[in-house]
Amino acid sequence: MSASSKPTISRRSFIKLSGAAAAAAAVGGPSRVLHALVSGNEEGAGVAAREMFSACDMCFNKCGLIARVEDGVIKKLDPNPHSLKSRGMLCARGNAGIKQLYDPDRLKYPLLRKGGRGEGKWHRLTWDQALDHAAEQMQRIGETYTRCGFLFMAGTDMQSTFVHRFAEAYGSYNVISHESNCLLSRNRAFLDTFGVVPTPDVLHSKYIIMPGANRFEALVTPDSMDLMTAMQGGCKLVVLDPRFTKTAALADEWYAIKPGTDMAFFLAIAQVLISENLYDEKFVAEKINGLDEFKAHVAQYTPEWAEKETEIPARDIRRMARELAAAAPAAMIYPGRRSSDYTDSTQIRRSFAIVNALLGNWDREGGLIVPKKIKTGSIYHDAPFYEDNPEDRVDAGRAQMMFDEEGSFKHTRDAVIEGRPYPIKGWLTYKTNPMQTGANRNKTIQMIDHLDFMMSVDIVMSDTAWMADLVLPAPSYLERKDPISAFLASSSCSGVITRDPIVPAMFESRPVFWIVKELSKRLDLTESFDFTIDDFRKAQLEKLPEVVTALKNEGVYNITGPSYGIHEGKPFKTKSKKIELFNSRYVENGVDPMPVYHPPQPVPRDHFRMVVGRNAFITQSASTNNSLLWELQNENSLWIHPKPASNLGINHGDRVEVVSPAGRGRLKARVTEETRPDTVYMDTGFGVISKGLSNIFGKGACIAEILEDHADSVSGNMAMHETFIRVRRV
Amino acid sequence: MKQSTPKKYGIVIDGSRCIDCKACMIACKVENDVPEGMWRNWIRPLQNVSGKQKSEFQPGQCMQCDDPSCVAACPVGATYKQADGLVIIDPKKCIGCGNCVSACPYGARYRNPAKNIADKCDFCQHRLKRGEEPACVITCPTKSRIFGDLNDPTSEVSRLVSEGKLVRVIAPHINTRPNIYYREGTRLLDWAVTPTLPGNIHMPAEFWE
Repeated sequence: MSASSKPTISRRSFIKLSGAAAAAAAVGGPSRVLHALVSGNEEGAGVAAREMFSACDMCFNKCGLIARVEDGVIKKLDPNPHSLKSRGMLCARGNAGIKQLYDPDRLKYPLLRKGGRGEGKWHRLTWDQALDHAAEQMQRIGETYTRCGFLFMAGTDMQSTFVHRFAEAYGSYNVISHESNCLLSRNRAFLDTFGVVPTPDVLHSKYIIMPGANRFEALVTPDSMDLMTAMQGGCKLVVLDPRFTKTAALADEWYAIKPGTDMAFFLAIAQVLISENLYDEKFVAEKINGLDEFKAHVAQYTPEWAEKETEIPARDIRRMARELAAAAPAAMIYPGRRSSDYTDSTQIRRSFAIVNALLGNWDREGGLIVPKKIKTGSIYHDAPFYEDNPEDRVDAGRAQMMFDEEGSFKHTRDAVIEGRPYPIKGWLTYKTNPMQTGANRNKTIQMIDHLDFMMSVDIVMSDTAWMADLVLPAPSYLERKDPISAFLASSSCSGVITRDPIVPAMFESRPVFWIVKELSKRLDLTESFDFTIDDFRKAQLEKLPEVVTALKNEGVYNITGPSYGIHEGKPFKTKSKKIELFNSRYVENGVDPMPVYHPPQPVPRDHFRMVVGRNAFITQSASTNNSLLWELQNENSLWIHPKPASNLGINHGDRVEVVSPAGRGRLKARVTEETRPDTVYMDTGFGVISKGLSNIFGKGACIAEILEDHADSVSGNMAMHETFIRVRRV
Repeated sequence: MKQSTPKKYGIVIDGSRCIDCKACMIACKVENDVPEGMWRNWIRPLQNVSGKQKSEFQPGQCMQCDDPSCVAACPVGATYKQADGLVIIDPKKCIGCGNCVSACPYGARYRNPAKNIADKCDFCQHRLKRGEEPACVITCPTKSRIFGDLNDPTSEVSRLVSEGKLVRVIAPHINTRPNIYYREGTRLLDWAVTPTLPGNIHMPAEFWE
């Protein structure tokens, strides 16, 4: 874009082009006054009340909400019925959002470390002192170690885009997100099969096999609600999970599959579909590449073979394959979300993708769909070029096919510790907490020990902020003006949402946009940040007046219209232009072109495999200290099956110590048949080191300390189910 | 409040839709400023690992009974049944004696330790006055609760009641005639208890079954 290097001019030309009304609406934001209670003699009478639209930020889902404000205080968050993605609901965490805002544990002003790292001794700085200090450190590190010597890590947030922009302007390609601790291997697998990462149309599906995903607890909107609606309408749900999750509890069938053997199950499903000619031949002939190779490849993977691997009876595998085929194309293998489990997790997810392809559910109602997304505008910038920078990311080459724009936390951390191929000495984290979410916490501490300077921008003193040298207080989502965010959801519910401050930012908290803008002034990078959030929004919505109107009137813009049958006849964005059962790019990169089954590492004697999961009121580590959610769960416990527990003399409620090669932790035992005898589980987000989290400090154990840091060989995604632990009563 | 037709509020709960996410409990807690450790509503689990029967989660709260034993148990008339069917506590009159807490067969009442008065669900009466549904109802991800006016024959709750595929949780020996209905097939029906009524309270004969 020619105007990109001259942001001032491009902005001026926008104002000239766009209607004044549209511009005013974009700035004015979604606010409405609904009531002013004046009559009556009840409590609360005479209180001026106002209601405003916003988007929840208690997890990544961005559910629409309406905040009720009385006398300047947010009293209640209700679901926004216009938000199709969230199906007019707000979960426990969404409702607890006001305690993220009104939380005595909030960071209130900038803090500089004065003791040792992690010692928790701080002194208060003014914002000017804090920003001058940060800019000085960034300048020094950039000059000494090149600009790539500074690492940036931003979590899922509507302002994270500005952190990425700042990293670009500063000149570092070492930018990572939370995703390499989460879903990158799923994305890799589906992208490499279909050329795009699809969305499951759960609502219209008739038969769903859900391997590992726990949609009734790890809530994803709209999938979680749609799953219940679909089931009420007769959709069959089969859950494969070593744990009896609430999703398993509500499923039609639950199999406590042997962990790490999902690929064996799906290769056997594929073998039945192929050997019994249960796939859609016309669909396959038109759209699939590599069927002959795949046919030959899966012949060996019979249900009888898979039974020995998965511990799921062969007759059930065969039956499920036939049932899937009968319900196809409104049948699916649910792609799942967090796939940071095994060292071959991309290949495991490839087996899910391939079965979906054989079911012919692509772009079909009740199958895998690619809904339309709104393309918002932007304010472009020309990032400066730094000649002395190294050639590539610091983690380059450590995985076979890493996403360049995402990188890998695990491999970056290793590179920082090793100092290879070049040193990294600075780190900025924004609203992400790798101390709790990145497997092997001791290694994260070791990584931080190798840094000259670390700064964290957060709402509370997370464990990651606790380790930083400079901690900067950010406002919650209810106090912030955010850019426009277009999101992709399921059928007829993708859309656009934004946030305006419901109440002014409390204490001395400042949004990360303001922080990076102030830093850019001090680092002579003002050209990249010569705009306000309002300017940015105007540019985003320049060609979208209907979005402006919807945001103002309904707090959300929904993309309605058909979500399937819309890509018919278009080539797939893969090398063969078809769905790839056989991936030739994999061959070029030394990766098996079709998923080859390797049994998981056997659980050694007297050991257990640790698995990771969620419940409906925990967002990783970000919500466990919330005083409302804390009432639902104030510590974590170790799920252990009664049989091994009895052998170890462990009773329900006993305190136990869990030990792995990576670390250890002490917590209560929850003796339960809700997990396999060879598998243990604990919730994420406890065992914190930060004394700034007053509700949960000293409670439970930290799973990130216990998990070893293996990686998926293809994507570099963390592999968190490869740790074997021992348990003893203490 | 002036009303042309008297209302009678009720809720139909479909336990087969509940995923035990606790959204209703937190929503209620915030809406009604319920103190730490106390709840106005709940979700009862019936989990079945063997897989022979499906698990079930059953939400619940004050049933706004037509023959409320809690009202009879109140020595000062602080709790009473309104024309719209809601059982209400007058915070100015309540002396915090706790009689009503043990008089409820559903355990729906608690003593607010901060205010030293009894408290319970009132179907978010203040929201109803604003034309909004109770907080637990609108926030539910899977819409397990359906709220409405049982006296309005066109309401969803009336339609469901007239279809007849509903059950009520009734304590052994007494029937307080609750206004919360559950979907037929709900298995958690035996949890209500015979209330402990103070000796000087005399309930009508039909109350005891």
